[in-house]
Amino acid sequence: MSGRGGYSRESGRLKDANQRRVLDEATRQRRARQAVEALDSDNFHDDPHGDLVANKNAPKFQDTLDTRETRKRRSKSADYYKFKYRRTLPQMIEYESLVRPEQPTFVDAQVPPSNFPKRNFCAVCGFPSGYRCITCGVRYCSVSCLATHAETRCLKWTA
Amino acid sequence: MKAKSERRRLFIGDQGLLMNWDIQKTVWDYIFSKECCPVNFSESPLIITEPYFNFASIQEAMAEIFFEEYECQSFLRVNASDLSDYHYRKDNSSAQGCLVVDCGYSFSHIAPYIKGKKHKPGIKRIDVGGKLLTNHLKEIISYRQLHVMEETYVMNQIKEDACFVAYDLMANMAKAKKKYPENDIVMDYVLPDFTNIRRGYIRTLDQPPITEQQKLRLNNERFSVPEVLFHPSDVGLDEMGIGEAVSYCVSRCPSVVQSHLYANILVTGGSSLFPGFKERLFKEVRASAPDEFEVNITMPEDPTTYAWHGGAMLSRDPDFYSFVVTKEEYEEEGPTICMERFDG
Ligand SMILES: [Zn+2]
Ligand SMILES: [Zn+2]
Repeated sequence: MSGRGGYSRESGRLKDANQRRVLDEATRQRRARQAVEALDSDNFHDDPHGDLVANKNAPKFQDTLDTRETRKRRSKSADYYKFKYRRTLPQMIEYESLVRPEQPTFVDAQVPPSNFPKRNFCAVCGFPSGYRCITCGVRYCSVSCLATHAETRCLKWTA
Repeated sequence: MKAKSERRRLFIGDQGLLMNWDIQKTVWDYIFSKECCPVNFSESPLIITEPYFNFASIQEAMAEIFFEEYECQSFLRVNASDLSDYHYRKDNSSAQGCLVVDCGYSFSHIAPYIKGKKHKPGIKRIDVGGKLLTNHLKEIISYRQLHVMEETYVMNQIKEDACFVAYDLMANMAKAKKKYPENDIVMDYVLPDFTNIRRGYIRTLDQPPITEQQKLRLNNERFSVPEVLFHPSDVGLDEMGIGEAVSYCVSRCPSVVQSHLYANILVTGGSSLFPGFKERLFKEVRASAPDEFEVNITMPEDPTTYAWHGGAMLSRDPDFYSFVVTKEEYEEEGPTICMERFDG
């Protein structure tokens, strides 16, 4: 509870808010969207045991030169497939509508939004939260969590 | 309601789809190599699984690779839950339907099967799987305690070792707010240093504290992470959770089969392994299903290999060879033969 500072007195907080930059709704939504996208990002990292475990035959993705060398004997290289079939998502969606018109697609299969109200948790400690940061709209639960939030992520996230 | 759905962002990660052919081919080359799983494709048929509503461009590339590159003689492309449903029917011959809830790595799917046939309008995807949960755990631990964003492997182990699904989220939140020993959720996790400790482990607070090893304090993280399966909106993803989606998917099926689907819910996939998963799912489905319907959830002994074993059983089915496409058929009729036979 050391971080109270200027947040403990109600009047101080309000005055502070008047001077503070307040993020508009579009920026708030953009920040929220970036956070969800980060959660879906590829998270491959080397197994730190990689050198320790016995399996020396696991595929090594780095040495593409080697594998290309051995694959020359084959009729088609991985590059062939890469270039023939590498399509972007919009291209794949368009092709899909030609091949399977009027069929449910990968895009349609996304489940709809929940009918339950959104629950609110503190962005700092994860416990249920009753308040929103005046500046950026992020949830917090207590003065100490608000102080941590203000010192760490409040405006620093905006690029 | 329409306005809301229009505002909704399309959430598609490309990670669960097969897009990087360079890496994928390297993986397959390894899988079918002498060192891993040597296979003679002129004798062995291949069953390959793919996500629901996979893109035709990906399917065509897969068929071409297996018929032309690996010279596969007979090929069957299915969804993994087709095999789980097959397995379930072998185990429960009187079941009239099966609702497969598959919680995987890139996403989770709910898929109704009626007498062995999938009912496409009832199949839905939730964009939450093991990967997102591990990323979420990494993110909150990195913010609250220690920078672990590059420690995916260790964080995944922590998720598997320490996380559980809360039966009642708010009751667990209230308990986690208290101090040990009233709070029996809080625990330490000793991190591996890869010299003395090769694998991290849980250390409960009743043991004498240790100072020489780096450790994490786990409290509400233990259940707030798997909670995202049941409430994706907790991390800002505007989708139904698994419990809610089960009732939604059943409601999209013919009314005569709905009772059979509720009575035959099958849970598979690695992200269903959290302790408490089945109980919580039952609680949510029971609360939303009509009272007169029986709700039954089956969790196989190993939910991660259930589909694979279904595939092994299917390969011994007397009709198996009527499901596959052979190399000769592919060469004569082209890629459309796969779509005709596998899409039914
Ligand atoms: Zn807080
Ligand atoms: Zn803020």
